[in-house]
Amino acid sequence: MKIRHLLLGMTAGALACTSALAANGSSDPIKIVLNEWTGQHISAHITGQLLEKAGFNIEYVNAGAVPQFKGIAEGNLHLQPEVWDNNVGDIYPKAVESGDIVKVGPLGLEPREGWMYPSYMAEKCPGLPSHAALIECAQAFAAPDTFPKGRLITYPADWGTRSKDLVETANLPFQPIAGGSEGAMIAELKAAYAAKEPSLMMFWAPHWLHAELDMDWVDLPAAHPNCDTEPEHGFDPGVTNDCGFAQANIGKIVWKGFGEKWPGALKLVESLNIDNATQNALMLEVDSKKRDLEEVVTEWVAANEAMWSSWVAAAM
Amino acid sequence: MGAETGQRLLWVVLIGLLLMTQLLGERGDWFIAYPEGWVVPLTPILNGAMDWFIQWTGWFFRGLSDTLAVPVSGVQQFLQWLPWPVVMVLTAAASWAAAGWKLALFSTLALLYMVVVGYWPESMNSLSLVILSVPLAVAVGFVFGVWGFRSGRAEKIIMPMLDMLQTIPAFAYLLPILLLFGFGPVVGLIASILFAFPPMVRNTMLGLRRVSAEVIESGLMSGATPRQLFWQVRIPSASHQLLLGANQTTMAAVSMVIIASIIGGTADIGWEVLLRIRKAQFGESILAGIVIALLAMVIDRITYGFAGEDDRESAAEEGFLRRHRYLVIGAGAAVLAFLLSNVVPAFREWPRDWVIYPADAMNQWLENFILNWSDVIGALKTVAFYYIMLPVRVGLVDTISPYSWGFEFTQPMRLGYAALVMALGAWAWFRGRVRLALAILFMGVLLYFGLTKLSWLVLVAMASALGFQLGGRKLATGTLLALLSLVLVGVWPQAMLSVYLCGIAVIISFIVGGLIGITASEVPMVSRVVRPINDTLQTMPLFVILIPFVMLFKIGEFSALLAVVAYAIVPSIRYTEHGLRNLPADVIEASTSMGCTRWQLLTQVKLPLALPVIMLGLNQTIMYAIAMLVIAALVGTNGLGQQVYIGLGDGDFGVGIIAGIGMAIIAMVADRFTQGWNAKRQAAYS
Repeated sequence: MKIRHLLLGMTAGALACTSALAANGSSDPIKIVLNEWTGQHISAHITGQLLEKAGFNIEYVNAGAVPQFKGIAEGNLHLQPEVWDNNVGDIYPKAVESGDIVKVGPLGLEPREGWMYPSYMAEKCPGLPSHAALIECAQAFAAPDTFPKGRLITYPADWGTRSKDLVETANLPFQPIAGGSEGAMIAELKAAYAAKEPSLMMFWAPHWLHAELDMDWVDLPAAHPNCDTEPEHGFDPGVTNDCGFAQANIGKIVWKGFGEKWPGALKLVESLNIDNATQNALMLEVDSKKRDLEEVVTEWVAANEAMWSSWVAAAM
Repeated sequence: MGAETGQRLLWVVLIGLLLMTQLLGERGDWFIAYPEGWVVPLTPILNGAMDWFIQWTGWFFRGLSDTLAVPVSGVQQFLQWLPWPVVMVLTAAASWAAAGWKLALFSTLALLYMVVVGYWPESMNSLSLVILSVPLAVAVGFVFGVWGFRSGRAEKIIMPMLDMLQTIPAFAYLLPILLLFGFGPVVGLIASILFAFPPMVRNTMLGLRRVSAEVIESGLMSGATPRQLFWQVRIPSASHQLLLGANQTTMAAVSMVIIASIIGGTADIGWEVLLRIRKAQFGESILAGIVIALLAMVIDRITYGFAGEDDRESAAEEGFLRRHRYLVIGAGAAVLAFLLSNVVPAFREWPRDWVIYPADAMNQWLENFILNWSDVIGALKTVAFYYIMLPVRVGLVDTISPYSWGFEFTQPMRLGYAALVMALGAWAWFRGRVRLALAILFMGVLLYFGLTKLSWLVLVAMASALGFQLGGRKLATGTLLALLSLVLVGVWPQAMLSVYLCGIAVIISFIVGGLIGITASEVPMVSRVVRPINDTLQTMPLFVILIPFVMLFKIGEFSALLAVVAYAIVPSIRYTEHGLRNLPADVIEASTSMGCTRWQLLTQVKLPLALPVIMLGLNQTIMYAIAMLVIAALVGTNGLGQQVYIGLGDGDFGVGIIAGIGMAIIAMVADRFTQGWNAKRQAAYS
């Protein structure tokens, strides 16, 4: 009997030791959010693979853009390395305010969002990319369903309605049409590009599309923090709330109990940095060359040990 | 006759009033566009109420959620652990027992498809949610059904509740459930229970009511207690209807589980479809969509087979083995499959290299199709847009321009248009077809000004008047209150955009679907071709067909219209064919012996006789079209469907639920109107 107890104790001790050696924190899996787009998948998988190198257990859980905040606030999800803070509704800021979601800092991506057009549109509207020219040649962007207004494809309605609001407050001669979904927007743009048809679309970078198609951004009036109170900023000096888009911040967020449960992992997440060039290169591999995402990320991780070795070391 | 004249006069006045308001009023007048300042700010109130509710009851729902999460992950892990041949063998045995070897073969092939394209784990995750939600939904539905059957007062509460639950679009449920129950697969489970239990309630009540008086009497005579009477006489006699309810519940649960995957948390097949669609991957999304269609078809056929099975009283005399032969064979084969799977690795996990995934070829095919047909497609779209959709939406006044129709809409032309409408109306009136004349006049005004620019005040009055004619005072007040509430909370403009899109879709679906249905009823070949297409359209998640539509027709209302038609046309085809095929044989025989030609037989005998069923099809077509609006919003529309998305996207409970209830209101008004029309017509004939 005694020997058996002893043996049991030893194995238990050994187990505890190995897990303590492997990772600085709990051995429960860290649940990383997967959204619906490739860029975020890359960030999530890079984060996940590095955390695994530091000895943590990882589980990827897919979640919609709004539901993820609910999940992280409640501790059902733990880590989201790439949050765009401009497409969020009420739930996210409330959860940050109440402390249920903790911001860990910027990811390092520099996003650009705005209205873009295929570069061949400069022939039909020579004044581009100025926004004054855009207003003047609105009809060049018209389509049967919007005539005489120009056709502006905006983000899907469930990503927020900033373009539509801007068109309304600045009273622009454009008809905003909600893109419905990323797939619909890409499908539309590809078809228009092939036929050299006019197209104006709210879009974002980094995105693999920019590597395939030649697109330019409209120079919208600069964003201004007081745009909602001081009318002189924006399209119309007599109107408030008509400035261009404030650029998003892309941050890393975790569940409030994350640092306590996985202190090492938090260190890694703090130092984690992914830039546009990295994401662009990997997105091109995945979306244009149709390669397996995990394989592409594994390759990248193997080739860039110099960059991340200190992050992983900090987590051990 | 006096009432008839009065009604005619009323309509002439209403149409005249509409014309006057449009001609004399300005766009900004309060009776044309309801002023924004008058809108009742319901959204913040609803959001406040929801916050308060969550604060006080959150612990309860959260606890429920945690409790339910245990069986969810348990069943999921079990199904993932089970080797696929075991599931396949068990499904085949169940199929055989339910409906014979043909279904067993179909089920086997269907499951094999899931394995071969590499979507087995995702399929099992979806299935695990269905497996849990169905018994819960059936149980809840049964309890409510019995309660409604027992108490008339309960029925009065339950029936409108069911109407709401079934007409509020599924997407509108998701946010409140997410807020209450938190993130995770439980959201999908709850949503699918809520969405799936109403058919069970309806069928339970119907079944219990239909038990004939003689059966009850003989039960009483043999001295049954009330409890015995209920459990041993009523329930068994109603079992067919109950099983039919269970079948419908299952199908609703399957469709809702797929929709709920938009929340995430489940690596299921619905998420896979969404992911592919976000990337505009046509082939990939179709391959995943087929999995869902097959899953739904297999589950449907099996449960339907069990529901349709004849009484098995004779079986009681057979031996144990014979009585339970499917169980025994199935269990034996399952054990064998399990043992084999420990030897053959491919039975555990299908090797990646063996996956057949022809998505690229499909994408290539679609691309070629678009390149070759883009001219025709563009022309088709332009015609539909300039000559049908735009006039209905914004009116001929704003449609006709050199850019669209090639000329200016000059004053003489406007007068000519007015004269033409008047002449057509007068012609119909003096031919004695007063209703047609009124319809022509109304359409004349509508097409001139456009539905979205007509005065809400007059439209509400017209709808209420129509309600009065079709269903008396009760329907009139109901319509008035329902539509006024749309106006008051400020969603009238979006509602009109929805009505416009739905209206055109319903008309197209009804005409085209009716013609297909008629052809199918006359030509068996056509029927055989159409049926599997209908099955697929009804069970495939409709996101899937959106991608090719967008590639062909671009983002916007035209693609949305086609998507709605693709879904809403199915009941029109089905009911028309069903109605024409199931007519009393003696009537057909009599007409044939009287020397009717086939054409006369169809137009003068069959169609009038089948009209009630065809109208039921129209009713269903309207319901389907409204249900599809939310999905069509994925390719960009501006109506209530889009509002539901905005609510979901902003996490704004109020916006989403108001739009959802708005759609339910439109659906219910349309439903009562068609039912009222049908009832009136039946009464006139008998």
